[in-house]
Amino acid sequence: MNNTDSEYIIEVEDLVVQYGTRSVLDGISFKVKRGEIFVILGGSGCGKSTLLRTLVGLLQPQSGKICMFGKDVTKMSDKEQIELRKSIGMCFQNSALFNSMTVGENVALPLKEHTHLADSTIEIMTQIKLDLVGLSGCANLYPSQLSGGMRKRAGIARAMALDPEIIFYDEPSSGLDPIVAAGLDQLIRKMQNTFNLTSVVVTHDLESVQIIADRVCLLNEGKIVAIGELKDMEANNDPYLRQFFTRTPNIEENQHTSVILD
Amino acid sequence: MIVQLLGYIGSKFLNGLHSSLVVCVLIMDTLNWLFYQPLKGRGLRWRNAVEYIVEYGFHSIPIVGLISLLIGLIMGMQFAYTLQQWGVTIFMADIISIAALRELAPLMSAILITGRSGSAITAEIGTMKVSEEIDALMVMGLNPVKFLIVPKFLGMIIAVPCVTILSMLIMIAGGFIVAVGILGMDFWTYFNQTAGAIISKDLFSGMIKSVFFGLTICWVGVYRGFQVESSAESVGKMTTSSVVTSIFTIIIVDLIWTTLFYFTD
Repeated sequence: MNNTDSEYIIEVEDLVVQYGTRSVLDGISFKVKRGEIFVILGGSGCGKSTLLRTLVGLLQPQSGKICMFGKDVTKMSDKEQIELRKSIGMCFQNSALFNSMTVGENVALPLKEHTHLADSTIEIMTQIKLDLVGLSGCANLYPSQLSGGMRKRAGIARAMALDPEIIFYDEPSSGLDPIVAAGLDQLIRKMQNTFNLTSVVVTHDLESVQIIADRVCLLNEGKIVAIGELKDMEANNDPYLRQFFTRTPNIEENQHTSVILD
Repeated sequence: MIVQLLGYIGSKFLNGLHSSLVVCVLIMDTLNWLFYQPLKGRGLRWRNAVEYIVEYGFHSIPIVGLISLLIGLIMGMQFAYTLQQWGVTIFMADIISIAALRELAPLMSAILITGRSGSAITAEIGTMKVSEEIDALMVMGLNPVKFLIVPKFLGMIIAVPCVTILSMLIMIAGGFIVAVGILGMDFWTYFNQTAGAIISKDLFSGMIKSVFFGLTICWVGVYRGFQVESSAESVGKMTTSSVVTSIFTIIIVDLIWTTLFYFTD
Protein backbone atom coordinates (compact mmCIF):
# COMPACT_ATOMS: atom_id res chain seq x y z
CA MET A 1 0.00 0.00 0.00
CA ASN A 2 1.31 3.44 -0.82
CA ASN A 3 0.95 5.31 2.40
CA THR A 4 0.15 8.93 2.55
CA ASP A 5 1.85 10.61 5.47
CA SER A 6 -1.49 11.62 6.88
CA GLU A 7 -1.85 11.20 10.62
CA TYR A 8 -5.08 9.29 10.13
CA ILE A 9 -5.06 5.77 8.74
CA ILE A 10 -8.85 5.19 8.78
CA GLU A 11 -11.33 7.95 8.11
CA VAL A 12 -15.07 7.29 8.31
CA GLU A 13 -17.54 9.93 7.21
CA ASP A 14 -21.33 9.94 7.55
CA LEU A 15 -21.61 6.19 7.41
CA VAL A 16 -25.16 4.85 7.08
CA VAL A 17 -25.92 1.13 7.16
CA GLN A 18 -29.44 -0.25 6.97
CA TYR A 19 -30.92 -3.71 7.19
CA GLY A 20 -34.00 -3.33 5.03
CA THR A 21 -35.53 -0.05 6.19
CA ARG A 22 -34.09 -0.22 9.72
CA SER A 23 -31.06 1.99 10.23
CA VAL A 24 -28.35 0.22 12.20
CA LEU A 25 -25.70 2.88 11.77
CA ASP A 26 -26.86 6.43 11.28
CA GLY A 27 -24.30 9.03 10.27
CA ILE A 28 -21.14 7.69 11.92
CA SER A 29 -17.95 9.75 11.53
CA PHE A 30 -14.59 9.19 13.19
CA LYS A 31 -10.89 9.01 12.44
CA VAL A 32 -8.30 6.52 13.65
CA LYS A 33 -4.70 7.66 14.09
CA ARG A 34 -1.79 5.60 12.83
CA GLY A 35 -0.44 3.32 15.53
CA GLU A 36 -3.15 3.79 18.16
CA ILE A 37 -5.59 1.37 19.74
CA PHE A 38 -9.05 2.68 18.98
CA VAL A 39 -11.84 1.06 20.98
CA ILE A 40 -15.45 1.03 19.83
CA LEU A 41 -17.66 0.59 22.88
CA GLY A 42 -21.36 0.01 23.11
CA GLY A 43 -24.14 -2.17 24.46
CA SER A 44 -25.55 -5.21 22.71
CA GLY A 45 -27.38 -4.37 19.52
CA CYS A 46 -25.98 -0.83 19.30
CA GLY A 47 -24.44 -1.55 15.90
CA LYS A 48 -20.80 -1.92 16.90
CA SER A 49 -20.35 -5.32 15.26
CA THR A 50 -22.12 -3.99 12.17
CA LEU A 51 -19.67 -1.07 12.15
CA LEU A 52 -16.71 -3.44 12.29
CA ARG A 53 -18.12 -5.67 9.53
CA THR A 54 -18.68 -2.59 7.37
CA LEU A 55 -15.13 -1.37 7.98
CA VAL A 56 -13.60 -4.65 6.80
CA GLY A 57 -15.92 -4.75 3.78
CA LEU A 58 -18.22 -7.62 4.76
CA LEU A 59 -21.20 -5.25 4.61
CA GLN A 60 -21.86 -2.50 2.08
CA PRO A 61 -22.89 0.86 3.52
CA GLN A 62 -25.96 2.62 2.08
CA SER A 63 -24.06 5.88 2.04
CA GLY A 64 -20.97 7.51 3.47
CA LYS A 65 -17.25 7.12 3.03
CA ILE A 66 -14.67 4.78 4.53
CA CYS A 67 -11.09 5.74 3.70
CA MET A 68 -8.19 3.48 4.58
CA PHE A 69 -4.65 4.49 3.69
CA GLY A 70 -6.23 7.53 2.07
CA LYS A 71 -8.38 5.55 -0.40
CA ASP A 72 -12.14 5.19 -0.40
CA VAL A 73 -12.83 1.51 0.29
CA THR A 74 -16.42 1.62 -0.93
CA LYS A 75 -15.35 2.69 -4.43
CA MET A 76 -12.50 0.20 -4.88
CA SER A 77 -12.28 -2.34 -7.69
CA ASP A 78 -12.08 -6.03 -6.79
CA LYS A 79 -8.35 -6.08 -7.36
CA GLU A 80 -7.70 -3.06 -5.15
CA GLN A 81 -9.86 -4.62 -2.46
CA ILE A 82 -7.81 -7.80 -2.47
CA GLU A 83 -4.64 -5.69 -2.17
CA LEU A 84 -6.22 -3.80 0.73
CA ARG A 85 -7.22 -7.03 2.45
CA LYS A 86 -3.57 -8.06 2.54
CA SER A 87 -2.77 -5.06 4.73
CA ILE A 88 -5.61 -5.56 7.20
CA GLY A 89 -6.23 -8.45 9.57
CA MET A 90 -9.31 -9.39 11.51
CA CYS A 91 -9.87 -11.46 14.66
CA PHE A 92 -13.40 -12.75 14.89
CA GLN A 93 -15.44 -13.10 18.04
CA ASN A 94 -15.41 -16.88 17.91
CA SER A 95 -11.99 -16.79 16.24
CA ALA A 96 -13.42 -18.35 13.03
CA LEU A 97 -10.48 -20.70 12.55
CA PHE A 98 -10.97 -23.24 9.76
CA ASN A 99 -11.95 -26.35 11.65
CA SER A 100 -10.82 -28.71 8.94
CA MET A 101 -7.23 -27.42 9.12
CA THR A 102 -4.61 -27.51 11.87
CA VAL A 103 -3.64 -24.30 13.64
CA GLY A 104 -0.42 -24.17 11.63
CA GLU A 105 -2.29 -24.59 8.34
CA ASN A 106 -4.72 -21.87 9.41
CA VAL A 107 -1.88 -19.40 9.94
CA ALA A 108 -0.09 -20.52 6.78
CA LEU A 109 -3.18 -20.16 4.56
CA PRO A 110 -2.96 -16.41 3.83
CA LEU A 111 0.77 -16.79 3.17
CA LYS A 112 0.21 -19.69 0.78
CA GLU A 113 -2.56 -17.92 -1.10
CA HIS A 114 -1.13 -14.41 -1.31
CA THR A 115 2.63 -14.92 -1.58
CA HIS A 116 4.94 -17.03 -3.71
CA LEU A 117 7.16 -18.10 -0.83
CA ALA A 118 8.65 -21.57 -0.63
CA ASP A 119 6.94 -24.04 1.69
CA SER A 120 9.93 -24.10 4.04
CA THR A 121 9.86 -20.30 4.40
CA ILE A 122 6.12 -20.37 5.06
CA GLU A 123 6.67 -22.98 7.74
CA ILE A 124 9.24 -20.79 9.49
CA MET A 125 7.02 -17.72 9.26
CA THR A 126 4.07 -19.67 10.65
CA GLN A 127 6.24 -20.77 13.56
CA ILE A 128 7.30 -17.16 14.22
CA LYS A 129 3.70 -15.96 14.29
CA LEU A 130 2.67 -18.76 16.63
CA ASP A 131 5.63 -17.98 18.95
CA LEU A 132 4.54 -14.36 18.95
CA VAL A 133 1.11 -15.18 20.40
CA GLY A 134 2.45 -17.82 22.75
CA LEU A 135 1.28 -20.94 20.92
CA SER A 136 4.68 -22.39 20.05
CA GLY A 137 3.85 -26.08 20.34
CA CYS A 138 0.36 -25.98 18.88
CA ALA A 139 0.97 -25.93 15.12
CA ASN A 140 -0.23 -29.49 14.61
CA LEU A 141 -3.31 -29.30 16.81
CA TYR A 142 -6.80 -28.79 15.41
CA PRO A 143 -8.84 -25.77 16.56
CA SER A 144 -11.27 -28.06 18.38
CA GLN A 145 -8.39 -29.23 20.59
CA LEU A 146 -7.66 -25.69 21.82
CA SER A 147 -9.24 -23.75 24.68
CA GLY A 148 -11.20 -20.56 23.98
CA GLY A 149 -8.29 -18.28 24.84
CA MET A 150 -5.82 -20.28 22.75
CA ARG A 151 -8.23 -20.17 19.80
CA LYS A 152 -8.38 -16.38 20.05
CA ARG A 153 -4.58 -16.27 20.11
CA ALA A 154 -4.45 -18.51 17.05
CA GLY A 155 -6.95 -16.15 15.39
CA ILE A 156 -4.60 -13.25 16.11
CA ALA A 157 -1.65 -15.21 14.68
CA ARG A 158 -3.64 -15.83 11.50
CA ALA A 159 -4.67 -12.18 11.25
CA MET A 160 -1.00 -11.22 11.67
CA ALA A 161 0.23 -13.67 9.04
CA LEU A 162 0.72 -11.12 6.28
CA ASP A 163 2.10 -8.44 8.63
CA PRO A 164 -0.88 -6.11 8.26
CA GLU A 165 -0.85 -2.46 9.23
CA ILE A 166 -4.34 -2.43 10.69
CA ILE A 167 -5.87 -5.16 12.78
CA PHE A 168 -9.52 -5.41 13.80
CA TYR A 169 -10.65 -7.28 16.91
CA ASP A 170 -14.28 -8.29 17.41
CA GLU A 171 -14.98 -8.76 21.13
CA PRO A 172 -11.54 -10.17 21.99
CA SER A 173 -12.33 -10.82 25.65
CA SER A 174 -15.88 -12.19 25.33
CA GLY A 175 -16.41 -15.65 26.76
CA LEU A 176 -13.02 -15.77 28.52
CA ASP A 177 -12.16 -15.92 32.20
CA PRO A 178 -10.56 -12.76 33.68
CA ILE A 179 -7.02 -14.14 33.69
CA VAL A 180 -7.10 -15.26 30.06
CA ALA A 181 -8.86 -12.03 29.07
CA ALA A 182 -6.15 -9.98 30.78
CA GLY A 183 -3.51 -12.01 28.94
CA LEU A 184 -5.23 -11.24 25.68
CA ASP A 185 -5.33 -7.51 26.50
CA GLN A 186 -1.62 -7.67 27.11
CA LEU A 187 -1.11 -9.40 23.79
CA ILE A 188 -3.08 -6.69 21.97
CA ARG A 189 -0.88 -4.06 23.65
CA LYS A 190 2.28 -6.00 22.79
CA MET A 191 1.29 -6.25 19.13
CA GLN A 192 0.74 -2.52 18.97
CA ASN A 193 4.02 -1.70 20.74
CA THR A 194 6.17 -4.13 18.79
CA PHE A 195 4.86 -3.55 15.28
CA ASN A 196 3.33 -0.08 15.60
CA LEU A 197 0.06 -1.70 14.55
CA THR A 198 -3.11 0.31 14.33
CA SER A 199 -5.79 -1.62 16.19
CA VAL A 200 -9.54 -1.18 16.13
CA VAL A 201 -11.19 -3.10 18.97
CA VAL A 202 -14.92 -3.64 19.40
CA THR A 203 -15.85 -4.55 22.94
CA HIS A 204 -18.21 -3.97 25.84
CA ASP A 205 -15.67 -5.04 28.46
CA LEU A 206 -14.91 -1.90 30.51
CA GLU A 207 -11.96 -3.45 32.31
CA SER A 208 -10.06 -4.27 29.16
CA VAL A 209 -10.84 -0.79 27.83
CA GLN A 210 -8.93 0.67 30.78
CA ILE A 211 -5.86 -1.34 29.80
CA ILE A 212 -5.78 -1.18 26.04
CA ALA A 213 -7.57 1.95 24.87
CA ASP A 214 -5.73 4.96 23.50
CA ARG A 215 -8.97 6.49 22.35
CA VAL A 216 -12.57 5.38 22.82
CA CYS A 217 -15.78 5.88 20.91
CA LEU A 218 -19.11 5.05 22.52
CA LEU A 219 -22.00 3.98 20.30
CA ASN A 220 -25.68 3.93 21.17
CA GLU A 221 -28.55 3.11 18.82
CA GLY A 222 -26.40 3.58 15.74
CA LYS A 223 -25.01 6.96 16.69
CA ILE A 224 -21.80 8.08 18.33
CA VAL A 225 -22.43 9.33 21.88
CA ALA A 226 -18.90 10.42 22.64
CA ILE A 227 -15.42 10.06 21.22
CA GLY A 228 -12.04 10.83 22.77
CA GLU A 229 -9.49 9.66 25.32
CA LEU A 230 -10.61 7.80 28.43
CA LYS A 231 -10.08 10.80 30.68
CA ASP A 232 -12.38 12.87 28.43
CA MET A 233 -14.98 10.17 28.89
CA GLU A 234 -14.81 10.50 32.64
CA ALA A 235 -15.38 14.22 32.37
CA ASN A 236 -18.31 13.81 29.96
CA ASN A 237 -21.80 14.14 31.44
CA ASP A 238 -23.91 12.49 28.76
CA PRO A 239 -26.53 10.41 30.63
CA TYR A 240 -26.07 7.25 28.51
CA LEU A 241 -22.31 7.47 28.82
CA ARG A 242 -22.51 7.87 32.61
CA GLN A 243 -24.92 4.95 32.80
CA PHE A 244 -22.61 2.81 30.66
CA PHE A 245 -19.44 3.60 32.59
CA THR A 246 -21.05 3.23 36.01
CA ARG A 247 -22.79 0.01 34.94
CA THR A 248 -26.25 1.23 36.03
CA PRO A 249 -29.15 -0.94 34.87
CA ASN A 250 -32.16 0.54 33.10
CA ILE A 251 -35.12 1.19 35.38
CA GLU A 252 -37.89 -1.44 35.06
CA GLU A 253 -40.27 0.10 32.53
CA ASN A 254 -37.37 1.23 30.32
CA GLN A 255 -35.91 -2.25 30.46
CA HIS A 256 -39.06 -3.57 28.86
CA THR A 257 -38.84 -1.18 25.91
CA SER A 258 -35.11 -1.81 25.46
CA VAL A 259 -35.77 -5.54 25.13
CA ILE A 260 -38.20 -4.81 22.32
CA LEU A 261 -35.73 -2.48 20.63
CA ASP A 262 -33.03 -5.15 20.68
CA MET B 1 -60.04 -16.47 0.96
CA ILE B 2 -59.28 -16.24 -2.75
CA VAL B 3 -57.16 -13.16 -2.14
CA GLN B 4 -55.19 -15.06 0.49
CA LEU B 5 -54.71 -18.01 -1.83
CA LEU B 6 -53.54 -15.77 -4.66
CA GLY B 7 -51.26 -13.93 -2.25
CA TYR B 8 -49.80 -17.23 -1.10
CA ILE B 9 -49.18 -18.42 -4.68
CA GLY B 10 -47.74 -15.01 -5.58
CA SER B 11 -45.32 -14.91 -2.68
CA LYS B 12 -44.22 -18.51 -3.33
CA PHE B 13 -43.66 -17.59 -6.97
CA LEU B 14 -41.64 -14.50 -6.08
CA ASN B 15 -39.57 -16.52 -3.60
CA GLY B 16 -38.92 -19.10 -6.28
CA LEU B 17 -37.94 -16.39 -8.74
CA HIS B 18 -35.60 -14.84 -6.20
CA SER B 19 -33.88 -18.13 -5.39
CA SER B 20 -33.45 -18.98 -9.06
CA LEU B 21 -31.83 -15.56 -9.56
CA VAL B 22 -29.47 -16.26 -6.67
CA VAL B 23 -28.65 -19.68 -8.13
CA CYS B 24 -27.97 -18.05 -11.53
CA VAL B 25 -25.51 -15.63 -9.93
CA LEU B 26 -23.90 -18.58 -8.16
CA ILE B 27 -23.62 -20.48 -11.45
CA MET B 28 -22.07 -17.48 -13.23
CA ASP B 29 -19.62 -17.02 -10.37
CA THR B 30 -18.61 -20.69 -10.43
CA LEU B 31 -18.07 -20.66 -14.19
CA ASN B 32 -16.13 -17.41 -13.89
CA TRP B 33 -13.75 -18.90 -11.32
CA LEU B 34 -13.57 -22.21 -13.15
CA PHE B 35 -12.74 -20.98 -16.66
CA TYR B 36 -12.08 -17.24 -16.84
CA GLN B 37 -10.10 -16.39 -13.70
CA PRO B 38 -7.57 -19.25 -14.04
CA LEU B 39 -6.72 -17.80 -17.49
CA LYS B 40 -5.90 -14.53 -15.75
CA GLY B 41 -3.38 -16.32 -13.59
CA ARG B 42 -5.51 -16.98 -10.55
CA GLY B 43 -5.07 -20.68 -10.18
CA LEU B 44 -7.47 -23.53 -9.67
CA ARG B 45 -7.29 -25.54 -6.49
CA TRP B 46 -6.63 -28.87 -8.22
CA ARG B 47 -5.43 -30.71 -5.17
CA ASN B 48 -8.69 -29.99 -3.34
CA ALA B 49 -10.66 -31.03 -6.42
CA VAL B 50 -8.88 -34.40 -6.47
CA GLU B 51 -9.70 -34.87 -2.78
CA TYR B 52 -13.34 -34.24 -3.57
CA ILE B 53 -13.30 -36.65 -6.52
CA VAL B 54 -12.05 -39.33 -4.13
CA GLU B 55 -14.63 -38.39 -1.50
CA TYR B 56 -17.65 -38.11 -3.79
CA GLY B 57 -16.65 -40.82 -6.24
CA PHE B 58 -14.32 -43.44 -4.84
CA HIS B 59 -15.85 -43.52 -1.36
CA SER B 60 -19.38 -43.90 -2.70
CA ILE B 61 -18.46 -46.95 -4.79
CA PRO B 62 -19.34 -49.56 -2.11
CA ILE B 63 -22.89 -48.30 -1.52
CA VAL B 64 -23.61 -47.44 -5.15
CA GLY B 65 -22.14 -50.79 -6.24
CA LEU B 66 -24.21 -52.78 -3.76
CA ILE B 67 -27.46 -51.01 -4.59
CA SER B 68 -26.81 -51.29 -8.32
CA LEU B 69 -26.22 -55.01 -7.98
CA LEU B 70 -29.44 -55.47 -6.00
CA ILE B 71 -31.41 -53.45 -8.53
CA GLY B 72 -29.88 -55.53 -11.35
CA LEU B 73 -31.00 -58.72 -9.58
CA ILE B 74 -34.49 -57.34 -8.92
CA MET B 75 -34.91 -56.23 -12.54
CA GLY B 76 -33.64 -59.62 -13.73
CA MET B 77 -36.17 -61.52 -11.70
CA GLN B 78 -39.08 -59.22 -12.51
CA PHE B 79 -38.47 -59.24 -16.26
CA ALA B 80 -37.70 -62.96 -16.38
CA TYR B 81 -40.96 -63.74 -14.59
CA THR B 82 -42.98 -61.54 -16.96
CA LEU B 83 -41.23 -62.46 -20.19
CA GLN B 84 -41.23 -66.24 -19.70
CA GLN B 85 -45.03 -66.23 -20.16
CA TRP B 86 -44.34 -65.57 -23.85
CA GLY B 87 -41.15 -67.63 -23.91
CA VAL B 88 -38.92 -64.70 -24.76
CA THR B 89 -36.91 -64.58 -21.55
CA ILE B 90 -33.80 -63.69 -23.54
CA PHE B 91 -35.17 -60.19 -24.14
CA MET B 92 -34.56 -59.36 -20.50
CA ALA B 93 -31.00 -58.65 -21.62
CA ASP B 94 -32.29 -55.82 -23.83
CA ILE B 95 -34.63 -54.40 -21.22
CA ILE B 96 -32.12 -54.43 -18.41
CA SER B 97 -29.33 -52.82 -20.40
CA ILE B 98 -31.58 -50.11 -21.81
CA ALA B 99 -33.16 -49.36 -18.44
CA ALA B 100 -29.81 -49.29 -16.67
CA LEU B 101 -28.03 -47.12 -19.25
CA ARG B 102 -30.78 -44.64 -19.90
CA GLU B 103 -32.35 -44.15 -16.50
CA LEU B 104 -31.66 -46.32 -13.53
CA ALA B 105 -27.89 -46.10 -13.24
CA PRO B 106 -27.67 -42.29 -13.61
CA LEU B 107 -30.66 -41.74 -11.31
CA MET B 108 -29.63 -44.16 -8.58
CA SER B 109 -26.04 -42.91 -8.54
CA ALA B 110 -27.16 -39.30 -8.41
CA ILE B 111 -29.68 -39.91 -5.64
CA LEU B 112 -27.21 -41.87 -3.54
CA ILE B 113 -24.49 -39.24 -4.01
CA THR B 114 -27.03 -36.56 -3.06
CA GLY B 115 -27.67 -38.38 0.19
CA ARG B 116 -24.00 -38.94 0.88
CA SER B 117 -22.33 -35.79 -0.41
CA GLY B 118 -24.97 -33.21 -1.30
CA SER B 119 -26.00 -33.14 2.34
CA ALA B 120 -22.34 -32.97 3.38
CA ILE B 121 -21.73 -29.95 1.14
CA THR B 122 -24.67 -28.08 2.69
CA ALA B 123 -23.67 -29.00 6.22
CA GLU B 124 -20.06 -27.98 5.63
CA ILE B 125 -20.83 -24.61 4.09
CA GLY B 126 -23.63 -23.97 6.59
CA THR B 127 -21.38 -24.70 9.55
CA MET B 128 -18.66 -22.50 8.08
CA LYS B 129 -21.18 -19.72 7.73
CA VAL B 130 -22.37 -20.08 11.32
CA SER B 131 -18.82 -20.04 12.69
CA GLU B 132 -17.92 -16.97 10.55
CA GLU B 133 -15.34 -18.96 8.58
CA ILE B 134 -16.77 -17.69 5.28
CA ASP B 135 -16.38 -14.11 6.54
CA ALA B 136 -12.83 -14.93 7.61
CA LEU B 137 -12.07 -16.13 4.06
CA MET B 138 -13.47 -12.92 2.59
CA VAL B 139 -11.54 -10.68 4.99
CA MET B 140 -8.36 -12.52 4.02
CA GLY B 141 -9.08 -11.62 0.40
CA LEU B 142 -9.81 -15.24 -0.53
CA ASN B 143 -12.87 -15.75 -2.69
CA PRO B 144 -15.26 -18.35 -1.20
CA VAL B 145 -16.40 -19.38 -4.69
CA LYS B 146 -12.86 -20.18 -5.78
CA PHE B 147 -11.94 -21.67 -2.46
CA LEU B 148 -15.01 -23.70 -1.54
CA ILE B 149 -17.29 -24.12 -4.53
CA VAL B 150 -15.10 -24.66 -7.59
CA PRO B 151 -13.22 -27.68 -6.14
CA LYS B 152 -16.52 -29.27 -5.08
CA PHE B 153 -17.98 -28.50 -8.49
CA LEU B 154 -15.08 -30.16 -10.31
CA GLY B 155 -15.27 -33.09 -7.90
CA MET B 156 -18.97 -33.60 -8.60
CA ILE B 157 -18.93 -33.32 -12.39
CA ILE B 158 -16.07 -35.83 -12.58
CA ALA B 159 -17.16 -38.21 -9.81
CA VAL B 160 -20.85 -38.60 -10.70
CA PRO B 161 -20.31 -39.77 -14.33
CA CYS B 162 -17.55 -42.16 -13.24
CA VAL B 163 -19.72 -43.71 -10.56
CA THR B 164 -22.60 -43.86 -13.06
CA ILE B 165 -20.56 -45.92 -15.55
CA LEU B 166 -19.69 -48.36 -12.80
CA SER B 167 -23.30 -48.52 -11.71
CA MET B 168 -24.39 -49.30 -15.29
CA LEU B 169 -21.93 -52.20 -15.50
CA ILE B 170 -22.95 -53.63 -12.13
CA MET B 171 -26.68 -53.43 -12.91
CA ILE B 172 -26.13 -55.34 -16.15
CA ALA B 173 -24.00 -57.83 -14.20
CA GLY B 174 -26.95 -58.31 -11.84
CA GLY B 175 -29.04 -59.27 -14.86
CA PHE B 176 -26.33 -61.74 -15.88
CA ILE B 177 -26.42 -63.39 -12.46
CA VAL B 178 -30.17 -63.98 -12.73
CA ALA B 179 -30.10 -65.11 -16.36
CA VAL B 180 -26.99 -67.30 -16.33
CA GLY B 181 -26.82 -68.31 -12.67
CA ILE B 182 -30.48 -68.87 -11.87
CA LEU B 183 -32.25 -69.41 -15.18
CA GLY B 184 -29.34 -71.35 -16.69
CA MET B 185 -29.07 -69.44 -19.98
CA ASP B 186 -25.92 -69.80 -22.03
CA PHE B 187 -23.43 -67.08 -21.06
CA TRP B 188 -22.40 -66.13 -24.58
CA THR B 189 -25.96 -66.06 -25.91
CA TYR B 190 -26.94 -63.66 -23.13
CA PHE B 191 -23.72 -61.65 -23.63
CA ASN B 192 -24.35 -61.24 -27.36
CA GLN B 193 -27.96 -60.29 -26.73
CA THR B 194 -26.83 -57.58 -24.27
CA ALA B 195 -24.08 -56.32 -26.56
CA GLY B 196 -26.57 -56.10 -29.42
CA ALA B 197 -29.03 -54.09 -27.31
CA ILE B 198 -26.63 -51.40 -26.19
CA ILE B 199 -26.39 -48.51 -28.59
CA SER B 200 -24.11 -45.54 -28.16
CA LYS B 201 -27.02 -43.12 -27.87
CA ASP B 202 -28.21 -44.84 -24.67
CA LEU B 203 -24.77 -44.63 -23.13
CA PHE B 204 -24.33 -41.05 -24.30
CA SER B 205 -27.68 -39.86 -22.95
CA GLY B 206 -27.00 -41.55 -19.62
CA MET B 207 -23.60 -39.88 -19.34
CA ILE B 208 -24.89 -36.41 -20.27
CA LYS B 209 -27.59 -36.76 -17.66
CA SER B 210 -25.14 -37.79 -14.99
CA VAL B 211 -22.97 -34.72 -15.63
CA PHE B 212 -26.00 -32.49 -15.16
CA PHE B 213 -27.04 -34.43 -12.07
CA GLY B 214 -23.58 -33.68 -10.67
CA LEU B 215 -24.05 -29.95 -11.38
CA THR B 216 -27.44 -30.05 -9.69
CA ILE B 217 -26.19 -31.77 -6.55
CA CYS B 218 -23.33 -29.31 -6.19
CA TRP B 219 -25.29 -26.13 -6.81
CA VAL B 220 -28.29 -27.09 -4.70
CA GLY B 221 -25.96 -28.16 -1.88
CA VAL B 222 -23.98 -24.93 -2.02
CA TYR B 223 -27.08 -22.75 -2.38
CA ARG B 224 -28.76 -24.33 0.64
CA GLY B 225 -25.50 -24.06 2.58
CA PHE B 226 -25.32 -20.33 2.00
CA GLN B 227 -28.98 -20.00 3.05
CA VAL B 228 -28.12 -21.13 6.57
CA GLU B 229 -28.87 -18.45 9.16
CA SER B 230 -26.66 -18.25 12.19
CA SER B 231 -27.89 -21.24 14.18
CA ALA B 232 -27.16 -24.93 14.42
CA GLU B 233 -30.84 -25.73 13.94
CA SER B 234 -30.78 -23.97 10.60
CA VAL B 235 -27.87 -26.16 9.45
CA GLY B 236 -29.98 -29.26 10.06
CA LYS B 237 -33.02 -27.79 8.36
CA MET B 238 -31.10 -26.69 5.28
CA THR B 239 -29.32 -30.05 5.02
CA THR B 240 -32.66 -31.85 4.89
CA SER B 241 -33.97 -29.29 2.45
CA SER B 242 -30.84 -29.68 0.31
CA VAL B 243 -31.45 -33.43 -0.16
CA VAL B 244 -35.15 -32.99 -0.96
CA THR B 245 -34.61 -30.09 -3.37
CA SER B 246 -31.70 -31.85 -4.99
CA ILE B 247 -33.62 -35.08 -5.66
CA PHE B 248 -36.59 -33.11 -6.96
CA THR B 249 -34.38 -31.05 -9.27
CA ILE B 250 -32.58 -34.18 -10.47
CA ILE B 251 -35.91 -35.71 -11.53
CA ILE B 252 -36.85 -32.48 -13.35
CA VAL B 253 -33.48 -32.41 -15.12
CA ASP B 254 -33.96 -36.08 -16.02
CA LEU B 255 -37.39 -35.30 -17.47
CA ILE B 256 -35.99 -32.45 -19.56
CA TRP B 257 -33.11 -34.50 -20.98
CA THR B 258 -35.33 -37.52 -21.67
CA THR B 259 -37.68 -35.25 -23.61
CA LEU B 260 -34.78 -33.73 -25.52
CA PHE B 261 -33.21 -37.08 -26.35
CA TYR B 262 -36.21 -39.21 -27.18
CA PHE B 263 -39.15 -36.94 -27.96
CA THR B 264 -37.71 -34.20 -30.14
CA ASP B 265 -36.39 -34.49 -33.64
